[in-house]
Amino acid sequence: MYIDRRRFLEMTAALAGSSVMTTAMPWFNIFNDPAPAGRNASDRVRVGVIGVGSRGRGLVYNLQELEKTMNLEIAAVCDTYEPHYQRAIEQTDGKAEAFFDYREMIEKVELDAVVIASPLYEHAHQTINCLKAGLHVFCEKSMARTLEDVKAMYDAYKETGNILLIGHQRLFNPVYLDAMERLHRGDIGPITMLRAWWHRNTDWVFYSDTGGRGTPLDRQRNWRFYDEFSAGMITELGSHHFQVANWVLGALPESVMGSGSINFFNDGREVYDNFAFVFKYPGDIHFTYDCITSNKHNGMQVQVLGNDGTMELESNMQYEEFPETPPALEDLIKTILGGDNEVIPIGGATWIPDAPIRIGGKYITPDYALDDTLLYLEGFINFVRKGSAPEKLTNEGYNASIWTLLAEQAAKTGEVVTCPSEYII
Amino acid sequence: MGTRFNAILPGLEDEEGDRVFMLIKREVTRIEGKLSRFRPESDVSEMNRIAKSNDCRLDDELFDIIKACILCNDITGGAFDVTLRPMMDYWKNNRLGELPNSEWEDLRVTLGMKNIHMDESAKTIRFSSPKLEIDLGGFGKGYALEKIREILENVKVKCAFISFGESSILAMGDHPAGGAWKIGMNHYLNPGKPVHHFEIIGGSVSTSSNFFVDDDGSLKNHMHVIDPLTCMPVEQCISVSVMAESPVLAEMMSTAFLVMPDEKIYEVLDQYEGMEPIKINYESGEARINLFEKINS
Repeated sequence: MYIDRRRFLEMTAALAGSSVMTTAMPWFNIFNDPAPAGRNASDRVRVGVIGVGSRGRGLVYNLQELEKTMNLEIAAVCDTYEPHYQRAIEQTDGKAEAFFDYREMIEKVELDAVVIASPLYEHAHQTINCLKAGLHVFCEKSMARTLEDVKAMYDAYKETGNILLIGHQRLFNPVYLDAMERLHRGDIGPITMLRAWWHRNTDWVFYSDTGGRGTPLDRQRNWRFYDEFSAGMITELGSHHFQVANWVLGALPESVMGSGSINFFNDGREVYDNFAFVFKYPGDIHFTYDCITSNKHNGMQVQVLGNDGTMELESNMQYEEFPETPPALEDLIKTILGGDNEVIPIGGATWIPDAPIRIGGKYITPDYALDDTLLYLEGFINFVRKGSAPEKLTNEGYNASIWTLLAEQAAKTGEVVTCPSEYII
Repeated sequence: MGTRFNAILPGLEDEEGDRVFMLIKREVTRIEGKLSRFRPESDVSEMNRIAKSNDCRLDDELFDIIKACILCNDITGGAFDVTLRPMMDYWKNNRLGELPNSEWEDLRVTLGMKNIHMDESAKTIRFSSPKLEIDLGGFGKGYALEKIREILENVKVKCAFISFGESSILAMGDHPAGGAWKIGMNHYLNPGKPVHHFEIIGGSVSTSSNFFVDDDGSLKNHMHVIDPLTCMPVEQCISVSVMAESPVLAEMMSTAFLVMPDEKIYEVLDQYEGMEPIKINYESGEARINLFEKINS
């Protein structure tokens, strides 16, 4: 069995009205009670997309997928970067009106909502202006570069009453639907620690033809490297898992301490290429988080450690062992990356997983054939039709965004950082 | 599919790679949900329950799959057979030298693809034996690779390396460094030293064997490969790999060639341009290799 669309709807229906659904993930109810929609043009949700780089392009694909089943139209696209602007026109077959300036876009095109996937430092003014223009907003994570901007976005959301959702897509992942129920039921006992990490072996250079670090073009294209524009992997990667930790524990951190450095990719970038944090939660529970870009052995994971068991949420496993990495394929990848074409001794009898007892784990939830970003956007479109979304969903995005910036502050100052009262909502 | 799956998609941006991988994963999950006999609600499980006693309606996809298996059974003179699971189970619990007995004799008569009956117009299947069940284990990975190839072609991915448990491999396009993908066949008694390598540009290699490597490095016959013609396990330690343009064909033929006499394999090869097998017999304690090079060509 695997989770297809029908099975997913059965799962959300089965949890309808349950305390875990109500308290921890009320947004999944949108699939039990989607907004009724006619097929008329007047019922069509018209969406503009601001920022169609690598992530934005993926979101346009997702929206195009939704166009097949929902009365939805990608009415406009916008990017300040000419190649992406052109690419988005092609991607939408010229049907979406294209703009370089989002202000012009929201003024000229009749829209109901925008999807924002621009660089982090652009999120705040774009979100606030769109909310104030009466539009609902789905903004990629993390929210903004500064605490003030994050709060200003939140305030604009409260003032206007329009929807603001932040793209932490794990919030809509079927694994978490099942995992949260099990965690609340106590399947792994009392939770005593969370560990998560995101380890990659990459220089993280999105664009290599910019003339190198520090050039104006590099600052624009590889904005993730510059302190003015991004907190690097803290905002771009960590944000996802900080959200998961808050969500799983049903609480916010009391404090964070941490440290970071550039110890390998010393190419002029200003943001850490490795860091480690310890968050302390109520009940003396710790959440450790580390990121590195020079070693990918550990990959990406969220481990929930309870007295009776462990959940590995990124791999949909309960308990903890991984199948070993197939060495032959690693060799093959190495030769590809090295530009060699050598014989790789690979062909053999079928590799069979170790006996379940040796793997020591089982799936949390049946395998699923659904894309969480797609589900999130489907939810967003339905919320737009209804005119509102669960406040907790916005708060998840807000709190994760605030704590990414507090974590950054902890690493930069070496101090134990708590949340200033003005940012507690 | 009871094994691990890897996809190497060189040259794609992360986002694009994630998107393509999701498409692949969705399709593999769908196929597994349909063909796995381990999943009670799969189409194959349902067919195995119903067709013992009634006509069972199949969807076009499964109907065509069973037909392809029957065709391969014909081509291989009965060596490819998807009905042998009960016989494999018998040999898990019994030893050589206890034959004949009534249980084995009963299975020998009731199993076999001749006991599968298909109705082309009604799209139904029926087994003429209540003991018969279909296990697509020797087909599913090749089929999944075939469908993955369609997906990759649709999204215009030109270069990819896809593996199920390293035994069923699809290599699309050229190797990123240029030229063919060079897939070495492991020497089981001397791991890491390929006994042979296939050069693939847009094709597939499938490997079947009847042994596992024990902790001390020696080969142990697991007796799970049954010769359909004798209903006995293949006793010698043999590994067969087949390179073919079609992953399904490579998958089915590697299973069949493991039990076929060499002269019969030559006959099949005459019908398929570009198919290259290798049969390695480890029984003597070293690798005896047959590459089936065509004598006349």
